[in-house]
Amino acid sequence: MEQLASIIGWEALKMIVGLIGVLAFVVVNALILTWAERKVAGHMQRRIGPKEVGPYGLIQPIADALKLLGKEILTPRAVDKPLYYAAPMLIFIPVLVSFVVIPFDASLVVKDINVGILVILAFSSLSMFSILMAGWGSNNKYALMGAIRSIAQNIAYEIPILLSLLPVIMMTNSFSLKSIVEAQNGLWFVFYQPLAFCIYFIAGVAETNRTPFDLPEAESELVAGYHTEYSGMRFALFFLAEYTNMFIVSAIAVTFFLGGYQGPFLPGIIWFLLKSYLLVFVIMWLKWTFPRVRFDQLLNISWKALIPLSFINLLITGGLLKL
Amino acid sequence: MVGKIKTELGAALGNIEIGEVNYRERGYHLCCEVASGEIVKVARFFDERGFYLAAEICVDYKEYLELVYIFGNHAALCRVKVALKVDPAKPIAPTISTVFDCAYWYEREIREFFGVTFEGHPNMTYLFLHEGIDYYPLRKGQVPVSDEDKKSLGSFQPEGAEDTFCINLGPQHPSTHGVLRVVLKMDGEYIEEAEPVLGYLHRMHEKMAENRGYLQFHANTGRMDYLGAMAFNLGYVTAVERMCGIAVPDRANYVRVIATELNRLSSHLMWLGAYLADLGALTPFLFVFDDREQINDILEPVTGSRLTYSYFRFGGLYNDVDEAFIPATKAFVERMKSRFVLYEKLVGGNVIFINRTRGIGVITKERARKQAVSGPVLRAAGIAMDMRKTEPCAAYGAMDFDVPVGTHGDALDIYHVRVKEMENAVRIIEQALAGLPEGPVMAEKVPKKLKPPKGDIYHTVETPRGELGIYIVSDESDTPYRMKWRVPSFSNLMVFPELAKGNLLADTVAILGALDLVIPEIDR
Repeated sequence: MEQLASIIGWEALKMIVGLIGVLAFVVVNALILTWAERKVAGHMQRRIGPKEVGPYGLIQPIADALKLLGKEILTPRAVDKPLYYAAPMLIFIPVLVSFVVIPFDASLVVKDINVGILVILAFSSLSMFSILMAGWGSNNKYALMGAIRSIAQNIAYEIPILLSLLPVIMMTNSFSLKSIVEAQNGLWFVFYQPLAFCIYFIAGVAETNRTPFDLPEAESELVAGYHTEYSGMRFALFFLAEYTNMFIVSAIAVTFFLGGYQGPFLPGIIWFLLKSYLLVFVIMWLKWTFPRVRFDQLLNISWKALIPLSFINLLITGGLLKL
Repeated sequence: MVGKIKTELGAALGNIEIGEVNYRERGYHLCCEVASGEIVKVARFFDERGFYLAAEICVDYKEYLELVYIFGNHAALCRVKVALKVDPAKPIAPTISTVFDCAYWYEREIREFFGVTFEGHPNMTYLFLHEGIDYYPLRKGQVPVSDEDKKSLGSFQPEGAEDTFCINLGPQHPSTHGVLRVVLKMDGEYIEEAEPVLGYLHRMHEKMAENRGYLQFHANTGRMDYLGAMAFNLGYVTAVERMCGIAVPDRANYVRVIATELNRLSSHLMWLGAYLADLGALTPFLFVFDDREQINDILEPVTGSRLTYSYFRFGGLYNDVDEAFIPATKAFVERMKSRFVLYEKLVGGNVIFINRTRGIGVITKERARKQAVSGPVLRAAGIAMDMRKTEPCAAYGAMDFDVPVGTHGDALDIYHVRVKEMENAVRIIEQALAGLPEGPVMAEKVPKKLKPPKGDIYHTVETPRGELGIYIVSDESDTPYRMKWRVPSFSNLMVFPELAKGNLLADTVAILGALDLVIPEIDR
């Protein structure tokens, strides 16, 4: 270890180990979440969900993954090949980068940079490029419509996300996620900024393209939206990215508003995961309860409600801080 | 009303004889025969008086083709049959699609099945038979389709102008619930034009009817509307009983009502679940299946099947209900009352649901009449017409129930009307259970081979989707000479292109779902 470190340096080694850890976490997280989603959906729909494969159906996601791996990877004839192939791979990069800066525990962060949140926001906007590539490259009208919807939705909801995080940044004077968590040593920011938390959470659900905001992949309208033409493992990558995004949105909410890894008795990472998965559960709960909003309503919610509200919230916060 | 229409029609047409027929036997009050030049005038006459065109039917009598127009009225029970004779060698008739919009599809159907050309019709192309046909299927004897006709019938080719594109909603699409295909010409997310393309499930039930005995065809009726099979069975058996003059025992009539209403409940529940799935909420689907399953469990031991029933027989029932049926139904009815409260909480009060359905797909009374819309869609538009009230068959006459109506005619109203109809179905079942008389369930001496007397009948029942009209022509043989099914989904789909225009894609799906279409019923 030390020899390796002396060759490439401690920093780089830490980075490599961290990235491997992140990759492992992403995969395990997606497996757990697919299982959880099916269980949650099952119990909300008065059934029990998967139960045959392994105890409580816990091995089910692995069986699903194997099935997807075994499937023939179809490539429709008329697709724009470079875009079509690249899209499912590229959708993963912003997801991975986001994990690098999220503090799982006081010492468990791959790299705590002083513009952490900006990195996450910048890279999460990048994921919309791969959705656009998938939609355009598929050469399918449903896919294209899904991609167009996705972009309009992303543009509309990134603004309230940033505006709802800004008050916290103003209160802590820092972009670093770790110092934001440390600043919540006393009272969590959700008690100072309940409105910002709500705005962030609504916009975050919209960012993950999930019901009631799942318009880019609205099943009953667009068949499967931008990933209509993807099958097998390529489809699984989109799927994986969606579940990981869900976790990232929850993790940022926890970091910014719910005290991050802070909590009594238990180790920090347990607290962090507990809080994050609780929010993930809420996102699932929403999905299995609500119908989908319409496209114009979706944009109206953001431009006419969330953005003005978050501006007002920002003004009030600024005013109070000055006092 | 009948007398008034008779004198007015006589005055308008001059020297034409208007016959008054026995309504109990025929299902219509007045009949007359007009010349080809007069039919548009007659259509205008009925249009001005607020009638709707229930059905346009063609019958091949070998020496001549007869076009039958059935006009009905929403306000009062008054039905008029207008006949028009067409030369089979050169079948041409004037179109009335300029007066009644619903004739646009009725006439296309007649064109491809009988070869009657309607002069002035804007689009005389195939409706059901897309591959092209060599013979007109419903003509008696083999009448080939000439090459010229084949060319003029043509096939549907969608074309998009600049800045727009065409998108196929179906035949394989999650929200068309079957094999309906709608070609949408779109400008971004907005629909410019919607053209339903039918025939993916066409089985020609009407031709099958001409080739088998009355009882043999019975099994076909449930296959048309697989969700409301009981109502189709009921319509068919009561129509034939009415022709033959068979009296049905009281107990059978009551059981028929219970079974039909249970089936109506299960059909509406299915709609509720599927409609919310269209809107993106997947959970209610599983909830309604819970209830539906119970209905199936109640009906299965009695009827012998869970979906396409053939429970009713001419003269009564296949067998009497068993010991367990009545307590099970009673328990189910009690349970449903609390379930309605649950659904209202889960669905009816949801703000997203209300915002998605309010104000979309608005059907005005006028449009509903012109397009011959029926059932809950018609009642949502504010017209209180229910065949169970206006022409009660079985024991519906003895039941006390409301006909819920809407005020705006939008998708939200359709939802409310259907929910209230479910509540009324529960009321009807309760009454029928309470009043269920003892006695036989089968009339005595019903012949094995039925040979109804010569003549025709237009018989209607209210299916979960609306007015089912069955037109049977008998030539005193043991097979029907001609049988026409006027199915509610077919007429209800006709309003869709108008409603979809200018709407978002998501609304289009919501409108299509609200109409509650059953594709095998449309395609027959």
